[in-house]
Amino acid sequence: MLIEVGHFALVLALIISVLLIVVPSIGLYQNKTSLAQLARPLVWAQGFWVALAFFVLMSAFLSNDFSVKYVADNSNTQLPLLFKASAVWGSHEGSLLLWVFVLSLWTVAVSIFSKRIPSDLINQTLVVLGAISFGFLLFLLFTSNPFERLMMPPIEGRELNPLLQDFGLAVHPPMLYMGYVGLAIPFAFVLSALIRGQLDSTWIRWTRPWALVSWSFLTVGITLGSWWAYYELGWGGWWFWDPVENASFMPWLVATALIHSLSVSEKRGAFKQWTVLLAIGGFSLSLLGTFLVRSGVLTSVHAFATDPTRGLFILIFLFVVIGGSLILYTWRSSLLQQSNPFSLLSRETGLLINNILLVTAMLSVLLGTLYPLILDTLNLGKISVGAPYFNAVFVPIMILGVIALAVFPYVRWKKDSLSRVFNLLKFEWICVVLLTLLSWVFIADNIFVLVAVGLFIWVVNHVLVLFIKRLRSKAKLSMSFIGMIVAHLGIAVFVLGATVTTQLGIEKDIKMNIGETQTIAGHDFVFNGVSPHSKENYSGFIGDITVFKNTKKVAQLNPEKRYYQTGMPMTEASIDPSITRDLYVALGEGLGGGAWSVRIYYKPLVRWIWLGGLMIAIGALFAAIDRRYFLRIKS
Amino acid sequence: MILSWQFVLMIVLSSLFLAWFLYRPIKANLSDDDSNISINRQRQDELELDISQGLIEKSQYQEAEEEIIRTLASELNNNESKNITIKPLIWSMMIFLFVGVLSLSVYSQLTPKIIPNADNGINEPLSMTESINNLENYLIENPEDFQAWKMLGLAQVGTGNIDKSIESFEKAFLINPNDIDLLLQYASAIAANQDGKFYGKSKILIEKALSLDPQSIQVLYFSGIVAAHEGNLNGAIEFWEKALYLMSNDHPDRNIIEEALGMVLNLQVK
Repeated sequence: MLIEVGHFALVLALIISVLLIVVPSIGLYQNKTSLAQLARPLVWAQGFWVALAFFVLMSAFLSNDFSVKYVADNSNTQLPLLFKASAVWGSHEGSLLLWVFVLSLWTVAVSIFSKRIPSDLINQTLVVLGAISFGFLLFLLFTSNPFERLMMPPIEGRELNPLLQDFGLAVHPPMLYMGYVGLAIPFAFVLSALIRGQLDSTWIRWTRPWALVSWSFLTVGITLGSWWAYYELGWGGWWFWDPVENASFMPWLVATALIHSLSVSEKRGAFKQWTVLLAIGGFSLSLLGTFLVRSGVLTSVHAFATDPTRGLFILIFLFVVIGGSLILYTWRSSLLQQSNPFSLLSRETGLLINNILLVTAMLSVLLGTLYPLILDTLNLGKISVGAPYFNAVFVPIMILGVIALAVFPYVRWKKDSLSRVFNLLKFEWICVVLLTLLSWVFIADNIFVLVAVGLFIWVVNHVLVLFIKRLRSKAKLSMSFIGMIVAHLGIAVFVLGATVTTQLGIEKDIKMNIGETQTIAGHDFVFNGVSPHSKENYSGFIGDITVFKNTKKVAQLNPEKRYYQTGMPMTEASIDPSITRDLYVALGEGLGGGAWSVRIYYKPLVRWIWLGGLMIAIGALFAAIDRRYFLRIKS
Repeated sequence: MILSWQFVLMIVLSSLFLAWFLYRPIKANLSDDDSNISINRQRQDELELDISQGLIEKSQYQEAEEEIIRTLASELNNNESKNITIKPLIWSMMIFLFVGVLSLSVYSQLTPKIIPNADNGINEPLSMTESINNLENYLIENPEDFQAWKMLGLAQVGTGNIDKSIESFEKAFLINPNDIDLLLQYASAIAANQDGKFYGKSKILIEKALSLDPQSIQVLYFSGIVAAHEGNLNGAIEFWEKALYLMSNDHPDRNIIEEALGMVLNLQVK
């Protein structure tokens, strides 16, 4: 009966979301405060029922209730406990339930942390969030019910996709969804401001911290996904320009533009119309990503759904949300106050350049992602757009972005003089050129690496100079400023890590006999053989490789070849990590006579990629807790 | 319509929770004007701090201050409005009715027509014959349900009706010819009608399963049987050794394959 209770809880959540749309709206438009103020209790009730449904499904997984089709299809008694719990979102229905659960968590958070926000604005925002919940609950219940029962429960369940039987599944999707779904909050604030025709300082002020927190989660989610792909897929790559990766990266790019645009709107009252469009764009791209993954138009490890009904539903929802928002925007844009003026050389211009670059980068990724699908749909042939396109188009745009990042924090708001900026920058440039030349002499002569080193030194230098200047002027260091410093440093760390590992990384795909040694980047890899190995949920082989550097043992690596219940072979890489380099070994196929094919990678600074990502996310969290967001407003 | 005390309790709890807030509504805290005044005042404070710390010049300060005043003036709209009171009892009743009727109606639409025999004892377990009848009725309305055809075939094997089970498996096969489990069950049913021998269609089905998943332990086991029936003992040994290699030491089917392998090895010796 527990399963039926979980199912009914979702139905109740759907009905309450209808009430959330209707009752507070009546209150707001007929000045019936009691009804308008019912928005929060409705949100709490809806959140409670969704949480109950989510945990009922989790308990079904933990108790091996194979009478639930979704459990029988994605779990079995041999699955370790952690994977049973994370298998809840290991396939389409459960991951959509996670989507709805995360949305209700965000909505409850907005309803609780909103004491400083005017009642009418917060109630209207909760109504918009209720409408989004309604759409997704409808989708979940009518096309993707996770509580469907089997008429004859099997004694044993099937298997969770072996790729997903990993710690990564426990952390990557929840974090990614927190970011993805979190973009609904800035969208809801913007939409409620448009609906109310109250496009003032208040909505901009209270949109920014929510945008920062959701962007921070999205950054962590993408970073974790990259790390997971790196160690799990056995190819040693950290980003594949997979369409589903792109689907999460596009909202990230627009959300990055949004948080910068919001800072201009908040500080200077400029770019308001642009900010509104970015908030709509960010969430629309998040929905587009959901469509790409759920509709079955893409084939990927991420894409589980192949049911066209599901795709059609999300497509309609996508059109309603984007179309409705843009119509509302057109209707209300005249109410937006004219931008306060700024000169060509000003920080506003810098942030405008940042926004243009980010949106251009997003469009280039969007084109590369959708172009093959459009051609295929129109029967104009099948093409594949891969890394060469994205690297050729995306990377130059981002180099310009990093240069802008290193220059414009020096420039004053509203207007500045070229001579003042030049005076501030000239010592930096000298320092950058000197240190880059030193790198050329002592580290590498690869042009891409030198450009990355130059940019890294420049950004680090500018961060330090800004920091020292602030300390000298005895100005109070705001969390917003610290956040910016940390996030910009994170970008520099990421750029250096990504460039160095891509340009200077070494890969060898070789046959190794027992006792044979291969030398890579000064490391001797000695192959000691392979032995059978099994655990509760798989069986297979485990390799034994010892790594020496200058005759001193530095690592013992044990890559695995696993065969899961379905017989699906999986490569489990073995990695010796460090901050300066990773030694990465993956086992290929047995070649007879004790010989195996082995892939060995030397990955310099690869950890900097994820370190940079985490720094960016932490920077955003710092900025979100700036004291200005704890303003005490008196009635 | 499905109605249980749990559902009624959930509806009543939801309605009571919401009714409580209709009788004791959360107080509205702030107006837009309060908020805009406070935010713009804070902006002005920040501006004064900037000039006192020498971060901006006086001309910039004056221009920025004028902008703040201009922005605030455009934002203030004196949005005082009268609060119209409501009758909480009427609204509570309406919410109760809305939640109750709509949630039960939607749930009854979503619930499958055939209730499964869940293992919680609320529904009595169905006998095999009842299950077959239910499945057959279900399949009249849902002839494209692959899983149901497969289950019907399995249930018919269970009752010894092999001919009927072959028909059901054939229907499932036409819907999804690439399901490994179905291919093996279907082949076994045909073999059961051929004195347990895998030849003809049953052999083709096993070969198809092997081409789809050459690493599956079950498929390797059946492929070994096919090879053994054809007198290809080396082939059978190869398949079963591979299966043993892939399976864990405590796999429940390990003994069966080891026995079969032992038997074939003996035959080879003889």
